Amino acid sequence: MFIYFGFILLIAFNKPLLGSLVLPGLSLGILLGALVIVAAWILVFIYTRWLNKNYDDALEKLTRNHQ
Amino acid sequence: MHEFLSLYLPLAEVDIKSLGHFNPLAIFFFVVFVTISLGITYWSAKLTKSTSHFYTAGGNISGLQNSLALAGDFMSAASFLGIAGLVALNGFDGLIYSIGFLVGWPILMFLIAEPLRNLGKYTFADVVAYRLRQKPVRIAAAIGSLAVISFYLIAQMVGAGELIELLFGFEYELAVVIVGGVMMAYVIFGGMIATTWVQIIKAILLLSATVLLAILVLAQFHFSPTALFAAAADKYPGVLAPGKQVSDPFDAISLGMSLMFGTAGLPHILMRFYTVPDSKAARNSVAYATGLIGAFYLLTFILGFGAMVLVGQDAIKQIGSGGNMAAPMLAQFLGGDAFLGFIAAVSFATILAVVAGLTLSGAAALSHDLWVNVVRSGHADETEQFKVARFATAFLGALAILLGILFKGQNVAYMVGLAFAIAASANFPALLLSMLWKRLTTNAAVASMLVGTFSSLLLIYFSPTIQVTILKHASAPFPLKNPGLISIPLAFLVAIVISWLTHESSSQQRFVEMENRIHFGS
Repeated sequence: MFIYFGFILLIAFNKPLLGSLVLPGLSLGILLGALVIVAAWILVFIYTRWLNKNYDDALEKLTRNHQ
Repeated sequence: MHEFLSLYLPLAEVDIKSLGHFNPLAIFFFVVFVTISLGITYWSAKLTKSTSHFYTAGGNISGLQNSLALAGDFMSAASFLGIAGLVALNGFDGLIYSIGFLVGWPILMFLIAEPLRNLGKYTFADVVAYRLRQKPVRIAAAIGSLAVISFYLIAQMVGAGELIELLFGFEYELAVVIVGGVMMAYVIFGGMIATTWVQIIKAILLLSATVLLAILVLAQFHFSPTALFAAAADKYPGVLAPGKQVSDPFDAISLGMSLMFGTAGLPHILMRFYTVPDSKAARNSVAYATGLIGAFYLLTFILGFGAMVLVGQDAIKQIGSGGNMAAPMLAQFLGGDAFLGFIAAVSFATILAVVAGLTLSGAAALSHDLWVNVVRSGHADETEQFKVARFATAFLGALAILLGILFKGQNVAYMVGLAFAIAASANFPALLLSMLWKRLTTNAAVASMLVGTFSSLLLIYFSPTIQVTILKHASAPFPLKNPGLISIPLAFLVAIVISWLTHESSSQQRFVEMENRIHFGS
């Protein structure tokens, strides 16, 4: 979310920077854009994995102790 | 979500005479799809025995299946055709939309998905009303939902009519009636089971078509995306940098906010979380869906730049100034009439499936929220609920056809703009605060939903899109094309201020119980 917002703010206030070329054919804007998508993937992946591995077990223990 | 971009893509302005020749292969693929999907509907109808089956497929959809259905609900024809067109004509600016649509998903995941699954039954109003007074909350939530759904439906129907006229050579009215009729058959007889499976098939078709097109494009550039971008920049300098679509910084921020929070307020997306058995499946389905949708949007980028280089901006503009035909033209260029026919049929299937999902969530708001919980105070037997739900579906289907025909030739853009902005302003703040903030009161939630709905409606009415483009006035009282920057914070502010001014002890007492249920399920 903050990553995307940073990206939008760059678009809003610093257009020339995003137009500069990192490689021939690849502008910084396109590279960052693709990285925002990849960052979203990674965040969601880590979150899901953590919940599936740790959170559910901890929750189950709590539930058992409760009963 | 996805068709927000039509804000700049007036589907209505597509010149329908130039591409609308009869394509027998497109008709053939389309008939095959409709036959299979009606077969699924027949099978689902036998399984649909209760309202729980009707609204949520009995909670028996697996995480993976749900992720495909979520992706299907989200990737509408306009996001396939529209983003490709936007990128083809504007280059980098199209990327803002692709990314914005995706970024809503982590937010949905971290804040909404699991609590929603554990607290609600059929609609998101179940969650907002959980510890508040039922009737006022449900009425306000239904108003917000129906506003989102209506504008979304109009945009889909008008878009459908025009695309089909263009791709198949049917009359506009006939196309709208076909879409409405087939969609009603899915929903009335097959309920959520049929809608989900139609959505899954369509998602697979759409993803395969996109992958195939992208591979064919990249094959022309030695499988190097940077070679493709370089060719685009050679032909049209400046397309790799932000351009004229986002010239006003505040418009860019406002658009970003609506795209980001709109996803978490779309009724037909939220409803999908009730179709899975538990919160773990809900979580996994968002994870897979984020992967699928992200891949899809990355690929539409290749398609857009591909169309820009291979078909050329002038040729695309000749068919329609909005650029919606960029992807089909690219398909024809790369694979001839057969591939064009396939892409056309996939686009039609996509519209059908999205309209079905929208109608079902609208029917749930009308029958579950308004009829059962407000009119009947929660006391309605199974047969009655079922009857009302089907009646509501038929009503919405007829309404969709009527609106589609009434709004023929209208610029669909502002209605989709409304749908996203209302979803982000009306539904999202109240939903989020109801789950996280102990002090929230009934009056505050109701006021927030109503203020969110009507402020976004008003601001869009006074925006340049309506005042200058449609009503041809010289200037607009409200400078931004998108109301999100004002209406989303306003809805939050109203909820917080009114909660401070009022006190509701029953709501605070039930907060702990609700928190337990969020974590442990029912």
